Parts: sequence; structure tokens; C-alpha cells
Amino acid sequence: NKEKKETNNFNTSVTVLILFSQVVLKIIKHYQEEGQGSEVVQGVLLGLVVDDRLEITNCFPFPQHTEDDADFDEVQYQMEMMRSLRHVNIDHLHVGWYQSTYYGSFVSRALLDSQFSYQHAIEESVVLIYDPIKTAQGSLSLKAYRLTPKLMEICKEKDFTPEGLKKANIGFEHMFEEVPIIIKNSHLINVLMWELEDKSTVADKHELLNLSSSNHLEKSLQLLMDRVDDMSQDIVKYNTYSRNLSKQQQQKHQYLQRRQQENAQRQSRGEPPLPEEDITKMFKPPQPPPRMDTLLIAGQINNYCQNVKEFTSQNLGKLFMAEALQGHN
Amino acid sequence: MSRFFATGSDSESEESSSSDEITPKAPGTNFKQSLLLSDDEEDTKRVVRSAKDKRFEELTNLIKTIRNAMKIRDMAKCLEEFEQLCRAFLKSKNIVDKEGVPPFYIRLLADLEDYLNQLWEDKEGKKKMNKNNAKALSTLRQKIRKYNRDYETEIASYKENPQESADEEEEKEPEDSGSSSESDGEGGDEGVSAKAFLKKKPEAASEASKFLKSAKGSGDESSSSEEDDDEDWGSDTIDSGSESSDEGEGKSASLAMVFLKKTQETEKSEKKVPKKKKLKKREDRLEEEAEEEGGEEVEGGWEKVKGGVPLVKEKPKMFAKGTEINTAVVVKKLNEILQARGKKGTDRAAQIELLNALAAIAAENNLGQGILVKIKFNIIASLYDYNPNLAAFMKADMWKKCLDCIDELLDILFENNNIFIGENIAEDSENLGISDQPFRVRGCVLTLVERMDEEFTKIMQNTDPHSQEYVDNLKDEGRVCGIVDRLLNYLENKGSTEEICRIYLRRIMHTYYKFDYKAHRRSLGIQGESKSEQDQEESEGEDSAVIMDRLCKFIYAKDRTDRIRTCAILCHIYHHALHSRWYQARDLMLMSHLQDNIQHADPPVQILYNRTMVQLGICAFRQGMIKDAHNALLDIQSSGRAKELLGQGLLMRNMQERNAEQEKIEKRRQVPFHMHINLELLECVYLVSAMLLEIPYMAAHEFDARRRMISKQFHHQLRVGERQPLLGPPESMREHVVAASKAMKMGDWRTCHSFIINEKMNCKVWDLFPETQRVREMLVRKIQEESLRTYLFTYSSVYDSISMETLSEMFQLEIPTVHSIISKMIINEELMASLDQPTQTVVMHRTEPTSLQNMALQLAEKLGNLVENNERVFDLKQGVYGGYFNRDQKGGYQQKQSYGRDQKGSYQQKQSGYQRGGYRNQNQSNY
Repeated sequence: NKEKKETNNFNTSVTVLILFSQVVLKIIKHYQEEGQGSEVVQGVLLGLVVDDRLEITNCFPFPQHTEDDADFDEVQYQMEMMRSLRHVNIDHLHVGWYQSTYYGSFVSRALLDSQFSYQHAIEESVVLIYDPIKTAQGSLSLKAYRLTPKLMEICKEKDFTPEGLKKANIGFEHMFEEVPIIIKNSHLINVLMWELEDKSTVADKHELLNLSSSNHLEKSLQLLMDRVDDMSQDIVKYNTYSRNLSKQQQQKHQYLQRRQQENAQRQSRGEPPLPEEDITKMFKPPQPPPRMDTLLIAGQINNYCQNVKEFTSQNLGKLFMAEALQGHN
Repeated sequence: MSRFFATGSDSESEESSSSDEITPKAPGTNFKQSLLLSDDEEDTKRVVRSAKDKRFEELTNLIKTIRNAMKIRDMAKCLEEFEQLCRAFLKSKNIVDKEGVPPFYIRLLADLEDYLNQLWEDKEGKKKMNKNNAKALSTLRQKIRKYNRDYETEIASYKENPQESADEEEEKEPEDSGSSSESDGEGGDEGVSAKAFLKKKPEAASEASKFLKSAKGSGDESSSSEEDDDEDWGSDTIDSGSESSDEGEGKSASLAMVFLKKTQETEKSEKKVPKKKKLKKREDRLEEEAEEEGGEEVEGGWEKVKGGVPLVKEKPKMFAKGTEINTAVVVKKLNEILQARGKKGTDRAAQIELLNALAAIAAENNLGQGILVKIKFNIIASLYDYNPNLAAFMKADMWKKCLDCIDELLDILFENNNIFIGENIAEDSENLGISDQPFRVRGCVLTLVERMDEEFTKIMQNTDPHSQEYVDNLKDEGRVCGIVDRLLNYLENKGSTEEICRIYLRRIMHTYYKFDYKAHRRSLGIQGESKSEQDQEESEGEDSAVIMDRLCKFIYAKDRTDRIRTCAILCHIYHHALHSRWYQARDLMLMSHLQDNIQHADPPVQILYNRTMVQLGICAFRQGMIKDAHNALLDIQSSGRAKELLGQGLLMRNMQERNAEQEKIEKRRQVPFHMHINLELLECVYLVSAMLLEIPYMAAHEFDARRRMISKQFHHQLRVGERQPLLGPPESMREHVVAASKAMKMGDWRTCHSFIINEKMNCKVWDLFPETQRVREMLVRKIQEESLRTYLFTYSSVYDSISMETLSEMFQLEIPTVHSIISKMIINEELMASLDQPTQTVVMHRTEPTSLQNMALQLAEKLGNLVENNERVFDLKQGVYGGYFNRDQKGGYQQKQSYGRDQKGSYQQKQSGYQRGGYRNQNQSNY
């Protein structure tokens, strides 16, 4: 939290995200219509910045395009879309993008890259992550993220070597920051909601009390395991790298020592010392493995863990509730 | 004959090299040397010409032609010559580097450029030019521009001071022309070649005469055709001369040269013929002196040209008529023939003929066995020499001759006990003449026979294995074996231990891969048709097993070179395995410790090792030792290069990795086809053993994260099978095994059985075994057992209890067998169940974790791995450097790992215990 505050202080422009319900509905609709299973859907968020609030007032989806129309120009499409929206007097400022997710797996290189380019061009842009599966279980899951300034700098320098990341002192916790979301409805909608709530049946409302949990957990574990595997591989890679590095350093050291000895001997004999050779050329350091992926994987694992934790704590609560009910009956 | 000409023309083109070869003469050569003496006179003159001169001369010649072409405005010719000039200049680069760019060259470049520019400016003239010339002009202009850029400074300096360099050139030119008229060869290219030919000629002539001597029938043909050739050549040059004269009037200089050359040539060719004849004469007059020849050369003559032809028809003679033929003379002659051996341009076929003739003469004159043996040695050696490179194999007739010769040699050796043969007998301590002392001959029969064996292998390697020719060639195997056997008998009496070891190894190499059907039948107790036949069988020879045993044991005891012993052991194992003596084979393999250090052996031994391992694996399979079979075959099969590893063919995909040289070497290592191990059989045996091991294992460890594949290849096959979009009935062997595996996965042994053993598989694989029926029975049994295990692993969760009677019915196994299998599974904690004795049922205990729990277990394990890896990184960070310490640590990790596994096991148990409790609790709470 402290961390977050600091970064927030640093980047004071936006502290809260005001989301219009229309946007939420549109995103959900988009996924229902086009996304299936592990497929993700994406779209553009439109809105404007007011004081320290980022108001997202509208959005439109990226069209799902297949292999056939490879010459489809996405940028062109966006521009067209924004221009058209402008004509009907809707906020047309690009303030970010949204993406659906499959069991919370969204921390990836692709997301990082595109969010970086967004944030690079439009400072206040965010990415809105929508989890349809959680939503289906009864609790709407929408989260807004943006890259921390630190990560922005690293991405700008494109220095993903172990040293670079070490210098930047960045961990997976400090890669993304979450922006709090407030969903705002117009008063009319609020009124409608009140009315609808009265009409809805009990069963509709208690979907979130569903006790079956193993399926969701299994999936999460599966994904978590995959990530852990990746992580292991990365670590092994890093391990070999550092071993090679140290071995080479040792060789270099030995070589230098030998050189020194020889030079000393030569000096005693009155001969000129051996010419300095380019040592870096002789001992080319091994290619360091890029560490950014590891960080991302760590972030993803963290994300899964959070998910599972959240889910299990909810479920435990539900189980206790069920037990109590059982006893009561 | 064509060969003769080919060699002749070869040496012509490489005049300098071949003449070099001739000049160094071993001391102590007889008349042959005098024959070549006349060369040496000329040689000395020629050596003077340095490489520089030769190159520059080439350049000046080209320049001359270019200048001529310039004069007649023949641009096409100019371009062509210029390109040649550039090439020639490039060739003489190292000389130019040393000497600097020759001034005449620069001069030409400058002149040519000026000339071209001039032509280019002359629009009128350009228009008049024909298309070809115009095109050539533009290309040449571009070319020379580009080319001259490299020599800008030189050209500039030349242009500043053209006179000086021109003078230099002038000086050079007369010199050149002077020398050319001297027929020293500096004058022109053609002059050189003519002279080269002149030089060449004596040698060629000597060859010719030799040839004449040996082959009477073909002799005159060759000489006459050679004459024809000469004539052709002469007319050719005339043609070219007239051609060039057609080309233009401004070419007078070159024309003159052509004529000059022509006269020279005619002179030469005329000179040549008498010389040849004279050489032949010299053959007759053996001891004639070189000076006399010189004299003759002068008078040599025109008149004698025609005399050469009839002389040719005479029967070639080895010796002069009057010569008394004795050992010394024959030896001398032999040496003389051998002198030519290995030289370029020596006709090897003729040499063999000569040697044969010599042998005949020696036999005719009763010079004794010693000399005969010596000649035979040399005949065989020259037969081997017949093919210039190692890759080529002997022609059939050569091979027959070779075998005959060796047989004869052995005959002589057997008949005459008083011949000593040895490599270490010095040339001068030989005793070839008939005397009281035993003969002493230098040479080694063993080497000859070994070489013969190698030649045989080579022949087999190079014959198409699916042709009748191969079968025909293979029939010679008997003869080869016979020779080896005879030599073996001979050496057993006379040879040293090492020699005996070597010949034993040869014998072993011819025995180990052959299945002894006789012994096999005998061991099965099948009587021969009648009593007499049985007797015959028995008298025919001892079992190959006994022979192998005797020979190998001798080698084990006596051999001092590691290689022979290794080979012998491997062959012995192979032979044991081939005859299903599994335990002997295995014990021998384990005791020899070959597995530890085979990687240091040379490739042929490694191939033999691989073959042995494969045979061992197949043997284990036949004996029903599935696990052993799998282990033995794993190394060979897992690489996917079984073909290459067994030396039964090269893999195509390696083509880019190896160059032609390596490929040749590899080709030489190939095992002849009749010794091949059937690769399909090998793969099938491997896959079936993998199936029998892997399927139950897979069923048992369905949820185990740490599950390792027993056989990667088998899994690969399974995956390939799964990937098939449409699954038809199996066709290939692999498909059969995959289909069978699928059936076994379901515990359906009948289907599995029908896939593994059926008509197709029988003829593809199983019928290749000598004891087909027994193997098939074993296989059925194994399939039943493993299917039972798989069934229990897979479906135990469905049953509360199952009676053993049902199981025995399902799998067609006796109840005791079922009982023992289940007991074993329970003891090994593979199956959570208990046996209920009175009712003969298996009672299952529900302990299988749910899939979520399984998943969690897997995750825990993976995390354990992760932590381990992480710690390793951390240790590195601590600054532990390299080598020894690190390795120590690694060991520590391994220990830790195994410790972890133990822990995990206990954890799992705990878990299951907990779970059981959980179930009970639930049950209680439900009711």
C-alpha cells in the first residue's frame, strides 16, 4: 500500500477510474458474443481526464479478424470509429483498452508491450481486465491496471538483462499498479435498477452461493502449474548462464594472472612487456537470458495465487455457511 | 588399352609432375634405368625453366594473340583472349607478387585501353562493325576499365615513360623467340607442349614396349592406333593452323609460329617412332649401354619408321633367347618389374600379366618353390594394387584370380614344409635358390589373406544386395572361409601366437553371425531322416559354438593387443546371443566391462559392439526377459539412428554435416548385407518390450507428476498414432504395435494379442526367429499378464472387490498366476487392495486421490523443483566458484532430491490417510 501511495504521488494525474455502466455492459456483451473459452477479446476505451479522475464513458471492440483479411488496417479502423463517434458527440479521446481474461491469466509479454506503447503515447491510459468466468459465478470482476513509472523506464531502455533489472530494483510486485474503479450510473439507471431488483427472483440473486468449486480450482491449478514449469525452466536457464559466467570469469582471472607473471618475468629479463590484448574479445561473456519474462511469469503466478486465495476464502466461507445451515435445519 | 592411352594423355598434361616422378631413381636399378637415361639429358635442360618464365611466357603468348586481334579489329577474339589473359594473370599471382607486375602486361593494358577508346570514338567504324564485334567491344571496354583501375599507378607511369618499358619488352621478345627456335620451349605454348610430348615420348614408348612384350595380341593394335593418334594430332594442328590463317592477314607473326611449330612437330613425331622401335630393340638387347643409344638416336631414322610395325607382331619375350634362366636372373627380372610398381603410367594389368608370365617361366625351368612363392606373393600384391584408390573394389575376374593365386600359394606352402615365410626376413637374406637349406622368403601370407578378406567385404559392400550378383558373390564366402581355414591350419603349426590370434579372429569374424542350424536341430533332438545322414551330419564338423569357444578362449589367453580380444569377446557374445544362450552371453558382456570403455574404441569395433548389444537384446526378448531386452536395445533405438549405428546404411539427413571424404570413410565401414540385423525386427522387438513395460507403468502412474517415460520412442509412436485424423486398420509394424498398445491400455488382451500376433506380423517379424513358436507363446503369456496388471491399475477404482476366478477367466490365466501377480502388486504398493483368501477375491481399498488433490500434489512437487533450482542460483550468487566444489554440491542436491522424493511418498501416504478419514467423516455426517 505504501508502495502504491508513493507511485501514486509520483504519478498524480489519475488516482481513480470512473467507469460508466454502459462501458461495463458493452464489454460483457462483447465477450458474450465473440469470446469463447480461452479466447480473449479486446477493445478501445474512450473517455477523458477530469482532475485526478479518469472517466471512461464509452468503448468499442476491436473487430475479430481472421487470417483471410490480413490486409485489414486496425489503426485505420480505430480512427474511423473515433471519428464517427465524434460526429455523434461522444467522447472520442483514447484513454486505454480492455481485454478479457481466462482464469486470470493476463500478465503476459503481449499485454506489457501493448500497454507500454499505450502509456508511452497517452500517459493516462489504462488496461481494463475483465474476467468473464468470475463474473459468471456471480461477482463482477473488472480491474484496471497500468504500468508503474519504474517499469515504464525499463521498457523504454529495453534493458532486460539481469543487471539492468537489478539496477532498476524492480520486482514482480512493482510492475503493475491497480487503479481503483468506481462504477457510476446515471440516476435514471439507478432508478431502473431498483425497480428490476424488486422483480428478480431469489435464485438469480444467489448464484454466488454456488458451492461447487473443484472445477474452477482445478483449472487454476493447472494454469498455475504451467507457469511454475515455465519459471523452473527460466531458472535453469539463468542458472546455466550464471555458471557459465562465473566459469569464464575464472578463466579470465587465470589468464590475467598468467599474463602478469609473464610480464614480470619479462621485465626481469629486460624485455618489453607483452602488448595488451583486448580481453573482452577473448572472453566474450555469454548471452544473458532476458529476465523480463521471468518477472512476468512471477507476476502471473502471483496473480493466480491471489485468485485462488480469494476463491478459496470465499468458498470456505460458503462451506461454513452451508454447515451452519445444515446444523440449523 | 584405353587405360594405357588415358594414362599417357594424363601425364602429357602434367608434364612437369610426371617427369619429376621419373627422375628420382632408386639405386641399383638395372637396364631399365639406362632406358630412361636419354630422358635425363633433356630433363636437365627443362628444369632450368623456372615457374616465373613459364607463367610469363604464357602471358606473352596471350598478349601476342590479343595484339594480333587488335590489328584486325576482331573484338570478339580480343575479348576472349583478354579474359584468358586475366585468368592466366591471376594464376601467376604469387609470382607477380614476388616480381612485381611485368611491364609488358601493363603495356598491353594501357595499349588496349587506348585502342578501345579510339575504336569507341570512331562512330563510323563502329557502325560498320558486325553485331558480335560491337557487343564484344562494349563489354571489353567496360571490363578493361574496371580492370585497369587496379593498376592505375603502373599504367600512369607507363604512359609517362612508354619508351623505357617498351624497350624492356623488346629486349625480352627477341630472347623469347630465340629460345623458341631452339625448341627449348620458350617460344610458344604449342612449342612447349610439343616439347613436352617429346619428353614424354620415351616414357610412353617404354610403356608401349612393355605392353608389347606382355600382350602379343593387343600389342600391335595399340601401337598402330597410337600411330593413328599421332597422325590425327598432326593433322589437327595443321587444321588449327589453317584456321588461324583464315582469320586474318595481319596475323603473319603467329602464322609463322604455327608453321614453325608444325615443322617442329613433324620432326618430333618422326623422331619418336624410331625411338620407340629402338627401345623395343633395347629390350631385346638387355645389357646395352646408354651411349650406344645416343649414337643410334642420331642415325635413328627415317627409314626405320616402317620397320616398327612388323616388329610389334613378334611374340614378346621375357628374356633374350640365349640367356640361361636361373634364379638370379628371374629375381632380377622380378625386381625390374616391381620397380615400375606404384608409378604413374604403369599399366597395372600388364604388370600382372608380366608377373604371371614370369611365374610360368620359373615353373617351367624348375627354379624351385622359393622363387615361385616369391612371385606369387608379388602377383597377389599387384592384384591388390590394381585399384588405385581404396574405395574401388576388385572386378570379378581379378577377384577370382586372386583367390586362385592364394589357393595355389597355400598349396605350395602345404606341400613344402621347408619354406620359411616372414615379414622380418630381409631382402638379402632370402634364400630362393634350390639348395639344401630351407627356402626363406620375405612376405606375409596372413597379411595377404587379411587383405583378401577385406577385399571380399568390399566387394560385398559394393554389390547390390538384391541382385543375383550378390548371391553369386556370396558363394565365394565358402572359398574365403576355406582359405582362412587352410591358413589357420598352416599357422597353427608354424605361426607365432600373434599370427594365430589374428587368423583366429578372421575365422571368428566369418563364423559369429551365422546361425548354426545343424546344432540347433541337433539340440532340438530332431533325428536325421536316416541313420546314415545323421552320421554324416555328425562327421561334418563340430558345432560352431565349440569352434567359437575354442578360438575365443585361445585369444583371451594369448592375445596381447586389446583390439583383437575385444572383437573376439563381442563376437563370442553375439554368437551366444544368436543361439539363445542368454546367460552365457550376458555374463560375458558384464564380465568384460566393455560397456564402460567402448566409446574409446574405433568405429568398426563400436559397430560390432552395437550389433552385439542388439543381438543380446533380441536374445533376451526371446527368452522372455522383457526388461533386459528393453535395456539392451534402448541405446540403439532411442537415438533413431539404428541404421547408422549398426553400420547398415547411411542416413540421408546427415548429408550436410559430413563432407564427401567422411562419407567415403563411413561407406567403408558398412557391414555387408548378408550380415545385417533386420531393422524392423529390431524395432518391433524394442517397441513390443517397451509396450509391455510402459503400458502398465502408465496405468499405474496416471497422475504422478514425476512420471518419467520408460521409452521415449514408444511414446513418440503413440503420439504419432494419436495424431492420425483417421484411424484405419494397422498396416505397418509400428501401427500394429500402437494399436496393440491401445488395446492393452483398456486391458483388452485378446485384441492386443490379435494385433501383435497375426499373419502380417508373423511374416514381417516373428517368423524371423529360429524358434518362432516358443517366442509367440512367450509373447501371449506376457501380454496376458501385463494386460491383467493394466486392467487392475486402470479399473480398480470401479470395483469394490473382484473375484480372482473372474480375472483368471478374463485373462485366460491360471488362478495361481493371477494370485501371484496380484500379491506382487500389493506387496509393491502398486495396488491398494487386500486378498480375501476364503472367497478368493480381491478387496479394493479406496485410496485414490481426487483429481484436484492429484493436481495439488503435482503442484507441490513442481514447486519443490522450483525451490531447488532457485537455491542453486542462490548458491552461485554466494560466490562458489566452479569445478570441484560445485560438483560436490550437485551430489548433495541429488541426495536432497531423493530425500525429497521419500518425503513426498510419505506425504502422499499421509494425504491418503487423511482423505480416508475425510470420507468417513463425511459419511458420518451425512447420516
